[in-house]
Formats: sequence, C-alpha cells, structure tokens
Amino acid sequence: MVIDLKIILREVDGMSKKLTLLVLTLLIAGGMVMGAGKAEPGKAKAPAKADIKIIWWGSQTRHEGTIKVIDLYKQKNPNLGITYEFSSWADYWTKVTTMAAGGQLPDVMQQDYARIAEWVKRGLHVQLDDYLAKKVIDGTDIEPSLIDTGRIDGKLWAINLGSNSHAMILDVDMFKKAGIPLPPKDWTWEDFEKIALQIHEKLGVYGYGVHMWNDQIWKAIYISRGEWIYAPDNKSLGYTDDTPFIQYLEMMKRLVKAGAMTPRQEEISQYAGGTQPEQTPIIFGKAAMQHQWSNQLSAVDKASGGKRNFALYPLPRVKGGKSANYIKASQYFSISSQSKFPDEAAKFINFFTNDIEANKILLAERGVPISSKVQEALLPLLPPVQKEVFSFVSYISKTGSPCPPPDAPRHGELISNVYQPEVIDKFLFDIIDAPTAAKILREQGNAILSKN
Amino acid sequence: MKSSFPRNRKIRDARDGYAFISLWLIGFFALTLIPLLFSFYLSFTDYDLLTPPVWTGLNNFITMFTKDPRYWKSVFATLYYAVAAVPLRLIVALAIALVLNTNRKGVAVYRALYYAPSIVGSSVAVSVMWRQYFGTEGIFNALLNMLGIPSNISWTGDPRFAIWTLILLAAWQFGSPMLVFLSGLKQIPSELYESASIDGASGIKKFFKITLPLLSPVILFNLIMQMINGFIVFTPALIITNGQPLDTTNFYALYLYKRGFENFQMGYASGMAWILLVVISVFSIFIFKTSSRWVFYETERGR
Repeated sequence: MVIDLKIILREVDGMSKKLTLLVLTLLIAGGMVMGAGKAEPGKAKAPAKADIKIIWWGSQTRHEGTIKVIDLYKQKNPNLGITYEFSSWADYWTKVTTMAAGGQLPDVMQQDYARIAEWVKRGLHVQLDDYLAKKVIDGTDIEPSLIDTGRIDGKLWAINLGSNSHAMILDVDMFKKAGIPLPPKDWTWEDFEKIALQIHEKLGVYGYGVHMWNDQIWKAIYISRGEWIYAPDNKSLGYTDDTPFIQYLEMMKRLVKAGAMTPRQEEISQYAGGTQPEQTPIIFGKAAMQHQWSNQLSAVDKASGGKRNFALYPLPRVKGGKSANYIKASQYFSISSQSKFPDEAAKFINFFTNDIEANKILLAERGVPISSKVQEALLPLLPPVQKEVFSFVSYISKTGSPCPPPDAPRHGELISNVYQPEVIDKFLFDIIDAPTAAKILREQGNAILSKN
Repeated sequence: MKSSFPRNRKIRDARDGYAFISLWLIGFFALTLIPLLFSFYLSFTDYDLLTPPVWTGLNNFITMFTKDPRYWKSVFATLYYAVAAVPLRLIVALAIALVLNTNRKGVAVYRALYYAPSIVGSSVAVSVMWRQYFGTEGIFNALLNMLGIPSNISWTGDPRFAIWTLILLAAWQFGSPMLVFLSGLKQIPSELYESASIDGASGIKKFFKITLPLLSPVILFNLIMQMINGFIVFTPALIITNGQPLDTTNFYALYLYKRGFENFQMGYASGMAWILLVVISVFSIFIFKTSSRWVFYETERGR
C-alpha cells in the first residue's frame, strides 16, 4: 500500500494533527489487516488454482505413509495445492466437528462406520454416485459389495479405504517360549483365560495386555451370541441376559488378580489408558496377547522393531457361540459439502483407491484395499506382517458373522459417561461387584438411549 | 470561550483515546464479549455444533445439579485440588523467594533457574514428562527402589495418589507467585529489620511480625490469582491422567471440555462454564471482603 503523506497532509489541513495521525494509523493498520488476507506475494497474480485439504486420524505409520502419497500426488499434479492435517482418533472428532461448525471442513475427510450416518443426515457430505458413474472414482476393479459399504439408503456417500476386522494379536515367539500351542481359531473365552494364566505362570509376563475393557469386547460377546448390544430402534439395550457381560467382567478381575492382565491403574499410569497401539505392553514384550483392529498390526509390528512374529486370531467366542468377527470398512474417505473443489477431491480419492504406486507406499495400513488390481499388485510385495493381515481378513470374510448395524446415536456419550467411568472403572477398582455393574449399565445406558 | 475550551478538549481527548484503542476494542467485542454472551445463550439450549441450538430453558442446569453424579465429583475434585495445591504452591513460592532475596553472587542465575518450570509449566511437554516420572515403571519408583523402598505403585493410576501427583506438579510450578513475592520482599524497608535486630528479635519473630504483615497485600494478590488458576486447571489433568482413575482428577474444566468437545454437548458445557464463572466470582469477593481483617496497607494507618 502506497500512501503519499504530503498530499494527504495538505488535504486534511483543517484537521488537527492528532486526528490526521490517527486516521493514518487506522488506514495503515486496516490495510495491513486486509492485505494479510489476500496479498500474499506471488500468489495474487496466479489464476484461480484448486486447493484441497485432507484430514485423517491414525497412528504414526499411517501419518508417514499418507503424507508420502500426498507428496506423490502433488508431483503428478503440480497445479493443485494440497494441504493436510492429521491427529489421533481421540482428537479427530473434536477437530472436524469444530471445523464443520465454522464452515471450514477439509475437502477430503476420513470417516467412520459409526458416525457417517449422522454426518450425512446433517448434509455435510457430497453424494458420490455421479463420480462413480462418470468414473472420476473408478469402480471397475472393485467388488460392488465393497462399494456398498459406503452407501446409506442406497446412495453412495463414502469410499471404503480398506477392509478389516478386530482381532487378537498373539505374540507367537512368546507362545513358543512358554511351550504353549497356538489355540484353534474358534477358541472360546474359557480357552483364552486358561492360556493367559499359563503364559503368566511360565514366563511371568502378562498373558493379556491392555484395553480389555473396551466396548468392542462387550459388543463381540453379544455378537457371538447372535445378538446386538442395541435394540433395532436404538432406544434401549438390545439383549435381555446380562450373564455373559457379568462373566466377562469377572474373568477380567480373575486375570488381574492372578497377575495375568495389566491392572487398570497400571494401564492408566504406564500406558496412557491403552488406546494407542504403539503404547501397549505387547510392544515392549510384556504381554502375549492384545486386542486390536487387524490393520493396526502393521503399527504394532513397526513400533516393536519389525523383527518379531505376530499372528492375528479371531476374537474368542462365548461357549457354543458363533464367530464374534465380521468384516468392516476400517474407514472411509468422504467429500465435504463445504468443499469448493469437490471434483478435485474425488480425483484424489480415486488416486488413493486405484493407484498402484500410491498403494505400494500405503501397504494396506488402512486395511485390505478394495481394488482387486491393487490387491494383486501388492501381494508379492507384502512384508510378512501384512500377508498375515490379508490372510486373516480373507479368513474372516469366509467364516465371520454379518457386520452389525452402526453404533446407536449417543453411543459415544454412553461409553464416556456411563460405560467407562460408572461401570468398568468402578468394577475394576473394586467399588462395585459385577452384577451391580451390569445393572448400572442397563439402567443408565437405557436412560441415555431413551433420548434417541 | 474560555469555559468551553476544556470541555471541548476533554471530548476530543476521549474521542482520540477511544480511536487509538479501537483495534483492541474490536478484538474485545468480536473475540471476547460476543462469544461470552453467545455462550450465555447457549447454556439454555441443546447444541451439538452441527445442528442449530434448541432452546431447553433451565434443563442443562437441572441435569447438572440433580442428575449428573460426575458433575459433583468434578466439583469435589476441583475443590480438593485448589484447597491443597494453592496454599502449597504459595508456601513453596514464598520460601524460595525468601531464600533468593539476598544479594549474594549468582542469585540472579538461581532466580532464572527456579522460574524455568513455570515458563514451561502449563505446557503439554512437562505433563508428558510428569507422566513418565510417576508411571508404574517411572523414575520416581526407580528412585524409591534405589533407596531400598520397594514400590510398584502406579502413582498416576491409583485413585489414592493420582490427584497428589498433580498437586505436586502445581507446587513445583511456583515461579510466577515467587517473582511477585520477591518484588514484594524488596519493598520492605531494611531499617525495620535492623531496628528489630537491635531489639533482639529472632529471625522467626521478624518473619511473623515484619515480613508477613508487610507482604500481606502481595499475598492477597497471589492468593486470588492462584485460586483462579486452581479452579481452571486443565492441561495436566488431560495429559497425565485424562481425568482418571475413578474420576478423581476429572477437574471441572476438563469435564467441561469433555462434555463440550467429546460429547458435543455445547449447551451443557456453556452452562458449566457460567457456573464456574459465578463460583470464582463468589470466592474472589469472599476473599476480598475478609481481606480487610488480615491485609495490612501501610498507607491506611498513616504515618
């Protein structure tokens, strides 16, 4: 901004000098504020250029891989501006919800099975059917059922980034050292408990690591019984028999008492609550089994040095029950309805899904890729740990139970305000017994769900 | 003409003054006052950030006071923390200030060193470090074992001790009240101590009869500032314990954050924020009112 002081001073001769100075100050300050917004040097003259932003959650392994793929895409599309942001799962939803409220949602955002319906309902995503029809997002090599995982009421809102299932990670070396044979794949919770105790007796480590209390296990127990934790209308719990839940709580306490599972206080104190796969006892060789999502095995492998032998196992079943495992889209990419360049965003998603070079970098860290061509290209390249993930997912797709409905609305509130503090913690810290814990879950859980 | 001149000038001065601070005023209105009033409105609504707020009257406050046991637990945890941490921090700050209030060589270096923890104090990095110290396999347990005291207590994960690790952290971050105490100590005239010495007063007597009374205005200032800090403690609880175990460190500001940004109940969180504002105001007024009994201002009694 150029201001000829003399001219201005002459023109405002009549005004007091103080006021002149003041006006000048305001003008300059104002100019600076305005200028900051639009006149970044070099950018102002270029033609309107597409700019997309990408946001995801995940582990360190994922951040590194995704950033490399974005750099690759930048090289191929030098005219496109790409920025990105990432965080842990815990901070992600705080971040994107705040962004959505401010109209600042990134163009491409990672989505989750449990939340997508709510976001679509609020008009925050762009429908993708057109892009699929016009092959901007090319579905030629993708099995239609895998595309369908991103549909709500028949309309496509999200692209599946990989299939996974939850799993018990077993430290095979430790099993060998203890002389304990690997269990059958249809093992039960009784088998699990026995093994955890044996490993502790023989090796002195924990049989099982952390986060045993997480709600995925609660769900798995009822899935194994052919039930679901929520009623079809999501207004109450979906099962009537609390006994399996009580047995599960009591098993945890027996394991902790025997020293075969990390106590809750140590989990909080030493493993930051146990929610990040990189910070779990199995990484440090202090536990032989650990519940994770199958795609997280690569993060576990990397964090533990990449030289150990892990096996993925289905979750244990209840006695005489069905498989507690199911195939699920580990996560999706969706396009924000606040995006200015949805076409560019769709092209990026296509690249991420179908480009072989990009997927060689990603190495199925988000789960088994949905494109059959990508799968074929990756197979010979996969490190042993990812081969294990692929064969596990293919095993589950043959033997697993059907995917349960998405979590009920207010599931998050129920978990953070009732399940964890009032049920699990009070039980694990010996404030209440297991039947009381189950009763509290039913009463307070139903109170929250009744608002749905 | 003569009589109107000062008035004119007064108006002009005021106008110029306001104009000069106008940028700040814009900031104040846009970034502080309007959001403040908006949050007052929100506290009477259900608001999840993604859909427009829905008016629910006093519902949030009724839930808070009658139907949310975790709310009361967070109130209790916060009071417990404030009552323990604030005096502890002030005592440590005053003690260190007394030690550093000398003219020995190198005292400036020590002052800087002792202030350092407070500069980095509320940061995430220190909290992460603290977590490492008091973890089950942390330095603190290693130290105890070295001294021959076997310990495998999970200090930050045990409901009996977790809050005390946070209180200890607060005490360790004594830097800013220490600086205020130091400047207060420097203003106490040395003749008073000299004449007390001549009269044969002991060090302890001098401390209670001279130092404390003359320092009382500074103590009042520090007490109020630290009390407010204590009520809004957030970062250490989020990073070190995340409010656990058993909600013993689920402090008010942390619970408010979780309700707002994890459960997306912005209305409820706004309501909690306003209650906190009222409570802090009440405590501050209470301390001010009672201060006339124990704060000594030199100018009041005249010389």
